[in-house]
Amino acid sequence: MSRSPSPRPGGWSSPGLNTPYDTGGRTSPMRGYANGGSNVTWASAQAKSAEVKGYNAFSPRNQGFFGRHFRNLSTSLPFSYAEKEKLGRGRSQGNAFAQLLNRVGWNLWRLRKLIGTLLAIILWIILFYATPLHRIWRRSSALGVGGNKFVLILAANQGGGVMEWKGPREWAIERDSVKNKKKYTQNWGYDLEIVDMSTKKRYAHEWRESWEKVDTIRNAMRKYPHAEWFWWLDTNTFIMEPSYSLQKHIFNQLNDVTYRDIRHYNPLNISHPPTDDYLDPETRSPVGDGKANSINLIVPQDCGGFNLGSFFIRRSVWTDRLLDIWWDPVGYEQKHMEWEHKEQDALEYMYTNQPWIRPHVAFIHQRKVNSFPPGACGEKGDDPNIHYKEKDRDFLVNMAGCEWGRDCWAEMYTYRQLSNRLNRNPWEKFKDWISDSVKHMREKKKPDKKDPKKKKSG
Amino acid sequence: MHFAMPPRKTSRPPPYAARNSRPYIPLWLKNRIRRPGQPRVVVVGCLVLIVLIWLLRGSGPDNGVGLATPVIGTGAPIVIVTVLDQKKSPGWIEAIKKNREDYARRHGYKTFFPNNTDYPLRGAPSSWAKIPALRHAMTLHPTASFFWSLDPTALIMNSNIALHTSLLTPQHLERVMIVNEPIVPPDSVIKTFGNLKGDRIDVVVTQDKDGLTQSSFLVKNGEWAKYFLDAWFDPIYRSYNFQKAEAHALEHLVQWHGTILAKLALVPQNLLNSYASGPAHLKHGQYKEGDIVANFPGCDKEKRNCADEMEPFLAILRGEKN
Repeated sequence: MSRSPSPRPGGWSSPGLNTPYDTGGRTSPMRGYANGGSNVTWASAQAKSAEVKGYNAFSPRNQGFFGRHFRNLSTSLPFSYAEKEKLGRGRSQGNAFAQLLNRVGWNLWRLRKLIGTLLAIILWIILFYATPLHRIWRRSSALGVGGNKFVLILAANQGGGVMEWKGPREWAIERDSVKNKKKYTQNWGYDLEIVDMSTKKRYAHEWRESWEKVDTIRNAMRKYPHAEWFWWLDTNTFIMEPSYSLQKHIFNQLNDVTYRDIRHYNPLNISHPPTDDYLDPETRSPVGDGKANSINLIVPQDCGGFNLGSFFIRRSVWTDRLLDIWWDPVGYEQKHMEWEHKEQDALEYMYTNQPWIRPHVAFIHQRKVNSFPPGACGEKGDDPNIHYKEKDRDFLVNMAGCEWGRDCWAEMYTYRQLSNRLNRNPWEKFKDWISDSVKHMREKKKPDKKDPKKKKSG
Repeated sequence: MHFAMPPRKTSRPPPYAARNSRPYIPLWLKNRIRRPGQPRVVVVGCLVLIVLIWLLRGSGPDNGVGLATPVIGTGAPIVIVTVLDQKKSPGWIEAIKKNREDYARRHGYKTFFPNNTDYPLRGAPSSWAKIPALRHAMTLHPTASFFWSLDPTALIMNSNIALHTSLLTPQHLERVMIVNEPIVPPDSVIKTFGNLKGDRIDVVVTQDKDGLTQSSFLVKNGEWAKYFLDAWFDPIYRSYNFQKAEAHALEHLVQWHGTILAKLALVPQNLLNSYASGPAHLKHGQYKEGDIVANFPGCDKEKRNCADEMEPFLAILRGEKN
C-alpha cells in the first residue's frame, strides 16, 4: 500500500482558494469532501488532512450504537464469553430457555448442509413455480417445453360492427372469453392475439365481406415469426380445463389424437381416398404419408362437417398456398350464396376437389378441442362424439350457434361456473365441502320439523 | 535435471492437510457406493442410462405408412407430355409421337402420350386434359426434374437445343426471364415479379400476343407442382366457361394468387413456343429457323387440319433425317 500523500485527482483541497459559488452546476450540496466543493466543513477538512497524514486524527472509539452498547448487550446474552470463565465451563448457567436456544443453534449449525439443501429446494420452487421464471421455462423452446411455438388467435366481435351493435351481454361474453384465454395463455407461455372481426367498411363494400380469417391468420404469422402452430378460436368458446397444456393434450402425440382418414368420421360423405389413377401414391393414400410432421392443418368435425370454430394451422409453405388459394374470386362469385359458412364451406370444397390438400390435413375428435353444449348438433346433448361431458373433463366448450335462438350469455356463465367448480384447489374444495355439508344438514332438519306437522294435519 | 541437494521442504507447512479436490460426496452416499457387492460402476452406469434415455426420448424415427420417397432429380431431366386426340389421322399422330421421341432420345429425356379421353373432365373441353396428364406423368416419373407439356399442335424443329442445359438452369433462367411484364398484355396491373431467383422457379411459360400460353410450358417436379396443377384443375374453373378454357384459368390463377406468380418465370416466346402461324408475340414470337419449337396454335380446331399445315415443316424434319 502506498502511504505517500499523493493528491487525489483534481488536486489538493484548498478551501480558501475556491470560490464559494463554484458548485459545478449542482443545486444540491455534494456529499463528502470532494475537491472544489464549496461546503468545506471542519469535519471534511479534518478528514482530508487525515488522509494526507496517513493516520487518523484522534477520534473517540465506539461511537455507534453497537460500539457504545455492545458490552452491555453481550453480557446479557445467554452465551456470553465472559460467563464462560466461571463455574459452568461453557455450560450456561442461565435459565432452561437460554440453554434450549443454545442447543437449537448448535444443531442448526451442525446440520447446515441438510438445511442448506432444503433451502435451495424451497428457493427452486419459489423461482420456478411461483414466479415468472416459471413462465420463461414454459415459453422457451430451447430450455423448456416450447410455449412460444403456439399462438392463440381469438376472434372477437364476430359479426359486429356495421351490421350490429353490441349490447351489455355481448360485452360480458367477450370479457369472459378474453379473460379465460388470457389466463390460459399466460399460464402456459403461449401468445394471445385478439383480433377484431367486426365487419369493416373496407370489406363491406367489397366482395370478400367477412372472409377475413385468412388475412387474420397471415397477419398473426407475420407478427409472431417464431411460432409454429396457430390456434383459431371463436368468441363463444370457453377453455374448461386450463390445466391442460396444448403440448400434452395434443401435440406430443399428434398421430394418436388425430385421424387422417376422413372415413373414420365422415358426416359430409366425402369419398376418400381419391381414386383417380393419375394421382401419385401419397395423394391416393388414405393417410397421406402417415408422419406427424406432414400435418399442417388440424380440424375438428361436428355433425355437419368441418368446424372452424376451433382449429390449428401450422406455419409451412403448404399453409401459405392454402391461405392463398382459400379465397378465390371465381369461387366466391359462383358460390358465395351457397357457402353460408364462408371459409368453412370453401375449405370443405377444396378438400373434396383439390387432391393436394388431403395429405396434409388431419382431423381431431371434436371433443378434444371443440365440445358442443346441448342445443348445437342435437337438443339433448348426448352425442358422445360431439357434446361436452363433465365427467370426462373436456378441454373446451364451443357454444356454436348460440346467437341463433339460444342464450349465449347464460351458456357462457354456466360453463364458467362449472369450470371454476371443477378446477377448485383442495382448500377451496374443503371449504365448499364444509359449507355444503352444513347446508345439507339444515335441509335435512327442515323436513323433519315439517313432517310431524303434516302428520298432525293429515 | 539434476539438483545438488534434494528440494527443501517448505518452511511453512500448511496448518491442515489440504483437502483433496475431488467433488464432495456426502459420507452416507460414499459409504453406499463403496459398499462391497455394489460397485460404483453400476450406479454410474444407471445414471448414464437415464441420461441417454432422457436425451433420446421421442426422437424415434417416424416411418409413417412406409411410402417410398422418390428423390427428385435422379431420373430423366425432362419428361415430354403430349396429350393426343385419337380421332385425328393416325399418320399425323405417329409423326407427332416420332418427333418427340427423336428429340427425347437424343437428350436422354422421356416421353408420355396419354389420350385426351383418359381423364374425368366432367364435361369440360378436352383441352383441360393436359393438366391431369401432367399430374399423371409426375406419378409415373416421380424422379424426373421437369415436365414439358407440349400440345400436339407444336413440332420440335431444332433438336440440337437441350432445354435442361440451355434454359432450365438457374443462371439461364435468370438471364432470360422477363420481369415486370404485365401478365395480360398490354397493360394488366399484375406484372411478373422483379426479383425472382432462378432456383426458386417452378413453372416456365411464354406469352403470345394475347396473353399467357399453355400450349408449351415447363413445370418443375415437386409439391408446388401438385398444388399448381390441382388448383388449376379445380372444377369451378372447369365449369366457369372461361372464354379460352384452361388458358384463361391459368391467367386467372397467376393474377390472383401470389404463391403462383412468385414461382413463375416468363421467358421470350421463341425459346419455348415460337408460332409458325397465329397471334405471335410481336417482338420475339414468330418462328424463324433455329427455334426449338414451331407451333400452329388452333390447327386442331374444326375446319383446320394440322397435318396439312405442318406438312412443309415435317418435310424439313424428314429431310434432316435423310
